[in-house]
Amino acid sequence: MKNKLTALAVVFLMSFGIQAQVDRTKQPEAGPAPKINLGTPETFKLDNGMKVLLVENHKLPRVNMTLTLDNPPHPEGTKAGVSSLLGDLLGSGSQNIEKDAFNEEIDYLGANVNFFSSGASANTLSKYFPRILELMAEGTLNPNFTQEEFEKSKDRTLEGLKADEKNVAANARKLRSALAYGKNHPYGEMETKESIEALTLENVKNTYNDYFVPQNAYLVIVGDVTLEEVKPMVTKLFGNWKKKDLPSFTIPQPSNVQFTQVNFMDMPNAVQSEVAVVNTIQLKKGDKDYFPVLVANQILGGGGEGRLFLNLREDKGYTYGAYSSTSDDKYVSTFVVSASVRNAVTDSAVVAFLDEIHRIRNEKVSTEELNNAKSKYVGNFVMALEQPTTIARYALNIETDDLPKDFYQNYLKKINAVTAEDVQRVAKKYFMVDKARIVVTGKGSEVAAALENLSYNEKAIPVKYFDRFANSIDKPEFNKAVDKSVTVESVFNKYLKAIGGKETVSTVESVMMLAQAEIQGQKLDLEVKNTASGKSATVIAMGGNPISKQIFNGESGFVVAQGQKVEFTEEQIVAAKASANPFPELEPNGAKIMGVEAVEGKDAYAVALTDDTTNYYDLESGLKVKSVKTVSQGGQTMSIPTGFSNYQEVSGIKFPFTISQSFGPQSFEFNVTSVKVNEGVSDSDFEE
Amino acid sequence: MIQKIKLSACAVILGVAGYAQEVEFTEYDLDNGLHVILHQDNTAPVVTTSVMYHVGAKNENPERTGFAHFFEHLLFEATENIEKGSWFKLVSSNGGSNNANTTDDRTYYYENFPSNNLKLALWMESERMLHPVIDQTGVDTQNEVVKEEKRLRVDNAPYGQILAEVKKNLYTKHPYRWATIGSMDHLDAATLEEFQAFNEKFYVPNNATLVVAGDIDIAKTKTWVKDYFSDIPKGAEVKSIDIKEAPITEQINATYEDPNIQLPAIVTAYRTPSMKEKDAYVLDMISSVLSDGKSSRLYKKMVDDQKQALQVGAFNISQEDYGQYIIFGIPIADTPLDTLLAETDEEIAKLQTDLISEREFEKLQNTFENRFVNSNSSVSGIASSLATYHELYGNTNLINNEIDIYRSITREDIKRVANQYLNPNQRLVLKYLPKSSDSEEKNSK
Repeated sequence: MKNKLTALAVVFLMSFGIQAQVDRTKQPEAGPAPKINLGTPETFKLDNGMKVLLVENHKLPRVNMTLTLDNPPHPEGTKAGVSSLLGDLLGSGSQNIEKDAFNEEIDYLGANVNFFSSGASANTLSKYFPRILELMAEGTLNPNFTQEEFEKSKDRTLEGLKADEKNVAANARKLRSALAYGKNHPYGEMETKESIEALTLENVKNTYNDYFVPQNAYLVIVGDVTLEEVKPMVTKLFGNWKKKDLPSFTIPQPSNVQFTQVNFMDMPNAVQSEVAVVNTIQLKKGDKDYFPVLVANQILGGGGEGRLFLNLREDKGYTYGAYSSTSDDKYVSTFVVSASVRNAVTDSAVVAFLDEIHRIRNEKVSTEELNNAKSKYVGNFVMALEQPTTIARYALNIETDDLPKDFYQNYLKKINAVTAEDVQRVAKKYFMVDKARIVVTGKGSEVAAALENLSYNEKAIPVKYFDRFANSIDKPEFNKAVDKSVTVESVFNKYLKAIGGKETVSTVESVMMLAQAEIQGQKLDLEVKNTASGKSATVIAMGGNPISKQIFNGESGFVVAQGQKVEFTEEQIVAAKASANPFPELEPNGAKIMGVEAVEGKDAYAVALTDDTTNYYDLESGLKVKSVKTVSQGGQTMSIPTGFSNYQEVSGIKFPFTISQSFGPQSFEFNVTSVKVNEGVSDSDFEE
Repeated sequence: MIQKIKLSACAVILGVAGYAQEVEFTEYDLDNGLHVILHQDNTAPVVTTSVMYHVGAKNENPERTGFAHFFEHLLFEATENIEKGSWFKLVSSNGGSNNANTTDDRTYYYENFPSNNLKLALWMESERMLHPVIDQTGVDTQNEVVKEEKRLRVDNAPYGQILAEVKKNLYTKHPYRWATIGSMDHLDAATLEEFQAFNEKFYVPNNATLVVAGDIDIAKTKTWVKDYFSDIPKGAEVKSIDIKEAPITEQINATYEDPNIQLPAIVTAYRTPSMKEKDAYVLDMISSVLSDGKSSRLYKKMVDDQKQALQVGAFNISQEDYGQYIIFGIPIADTPLDTLLAETDEEIAKLQTDLISEREFEKLQNTFENRFVNSNSSVSGIASSLATYHELYGNTNLINNEIDIYRSITREDIKRVANQYLNPNQRLVLKYLPKSSDSEEKNSK
């Protein structure tokens, strides 16, 4: 009451032009956490059980709509992948409108419509709302499942699975879910080549008929429409959707392991280890622990200011980023701490992760950390609220997660009320460092031994091995013994013989190679020139424009990229010297045999040429199949593998005509268009 | 049956009447001349606070170009109450984000905050307006930063000089003739006193628009605005630029050599009217017909069907005093630049002789309506639009009405404007070529 009076007095004085003095020398204090006005949705229910939520917002003449089927997760078993195919097929026109006409009309109206296995979403100018809603209903309720589209979609899915076979991060993610939830749980099921191949169009139709039912459906509409307009339209379009009981099934309850353990999957092609500490949690949005968990996670690993990032990236330089996450799900979810780290520090990264989880459990967080985490969270939350899709999602969450109506209104207040004690309490409860799986996917021959020796707080951590379908397996044999008769010379000689003989190779003075790759529709041209005297020039051009250039004249060199010219460092000069010669195998000085490893499923000798470069030579054919370089850049160390295949003869020597390179999550395949020996290269290529 | 009739009747009414967009705002002037625009939208607890100063590269002394952009940087340095180097930390540790940008016409600073930090934002912007610290240390620091930015964004960017070359050739008297980033020699030669005088002349309340948009209480915000801004002294009157160019009557031919490219480009550019004119809006639509999306005329013909060009684009860059209409193409392989020129000319000639199709026209309407609506989808977007409409267009109501201008454009307008402005004798043809090492030697000799 007193406050109110003072405020009134101020306004009174102001209106007479007497200025309230503000103290400019001090930064103004923040006001109380803002309340959020999300608007209460108007709701109505159709006879078939579908619920409609309408958030009117007439500020802009546009409408956003989302249809969500809130069915409980169901196991797919041997038909794993059928739902994703269903999602892919929905929206290929309808029984009444042919596919191309369907898509063209949406474009012409300037709208967007997307379909999923569990619903659809769209946005449009409000004046086209009736038509877009109609098209969305057409696509979802009168789908046109054709054999032709089914086959296309199946091929795409298989193609995707194949592309992911060597993808370390993707396999690591699948393994993590399978182990944490269990392979029989809908969240842990794995799509496989076999499960997809066995699917039929009939399976997709059955899944649609079984699960595309209205009783758990929510249609959320946000924007410039009124209840009077919406109600008759929705009733007309969705009223005939038939209610039907879902098939009955039981879902196994996931359980955490009894003691902390490493679960390891070997991927010989891995140049980084995917490390994740994971346990399942029961945490719903309505729980009283929800907000403390959000804050605890933000402090531990919510972003670039999180402890994990500061420790593993900024301080130790193990990784490009380290984060934690706690999802909320009304059935079950996981707490995950994860990072991609270079092979050599895999075990150290595990220790650093455990250190940080223990620390947030054992010590109270500082006031500064707490406040920064809160303001960061508040900022992010608040900015996201501007999007109508966020508002739609929140309105939906209140329904599906059975939250109090004012849940999001009070969100910021709840965040700000979290104390350091709360953070510690929930960290102990949800960050289960004693019952966690440390899921590591990486190159066994380089990282497994260190993991086997890992102990924490003087307790050994057992290691269990898995294949990529999450089956428990015996420890694989990582380092195959090299036959005593094999030497660097014998490996190199076999290679030289395989490509055309030492004599012929010795006559090479220069090699010029042109190659092409396509990345996201852009053509990438590669031009590489090397001389036996140790000079090299590499030019990469995109769409005809050079984007990077590396020139080395045998003594010094430079890189031009993004318009900046940077001279080679000492290390780069050493590396360039080592790799300039197109056939370093002619002079095996200093090279060492490291062992036998699988490359693309075939055994190859690993030969370290220098500390930073290892080449792989196929046991059978003798050909060089891979080279891995370790480079340091901006405090980060990473390994860049290059694969060689499709050898073809030019001037009596075999050169690889397919060259693949991975760079983090990206990989490129270059097709060599031309190789020239002892022509097309002159000294001026290696000058400025 | 009755329902069906009702439904389609509804659709007809909607289709004809369109809609009225309702971005409500209040605007007023403080005694010191600061124009204030407030927009309340309590949907999300976000507030954008921004100041647009009506000063850009065109207000510079021709011997001191680059000042406006330099000030964009300099005014983040420090104020009497905000320590050097703490501006950005102040924003991020309070859950906000911020930035600034400069054009030939104006300079814009903004902060986005959760709405309980509005006072903080007002304090920061008023500090910047009242007493920024402009000293030699700050000037030296930003001099390096700006040079780095120029190297990165202009000097080393492939095709980075196109706009500068176009402006240089299209204008002989108007200050649009120099590049926004200006000359580094000019900046090096400038004295501290010159920087301080520039600040005193242009960064004053009577030359600025303050916008507060988002989750605010209008009465409270007015009080705070008064608290923080009313004691900032008014500056001398800032006169607007009034320099007229004589019409171009003969094709201007020019070449430029860019060391950062391998493929040449052909650029044609036309001088067009101020952004305030209806014809500038018509030119926006013409750009869309020519090069917006894969079904646009130039793209479909030259990139898709005939495979003559790697890229082709038509841009209408409208500004306060004049505009530049620019078409550029990068050839594939050995397609001569003249062929690209002939192909684009053919498409312009079509616009000059035939009306565009009804379907194209309708799609155009949908495209512009969508674009317009979505440009107002965030409060930060609205804040920037409000400031621009007031300061450059002189009509804040355009925030809601601008679409009516686009709506009023007919197929005949498109034909008329193509005939009025896009003729060969009114333009620049710029051959934008790779600089070979030969030509480099020639130049240095």
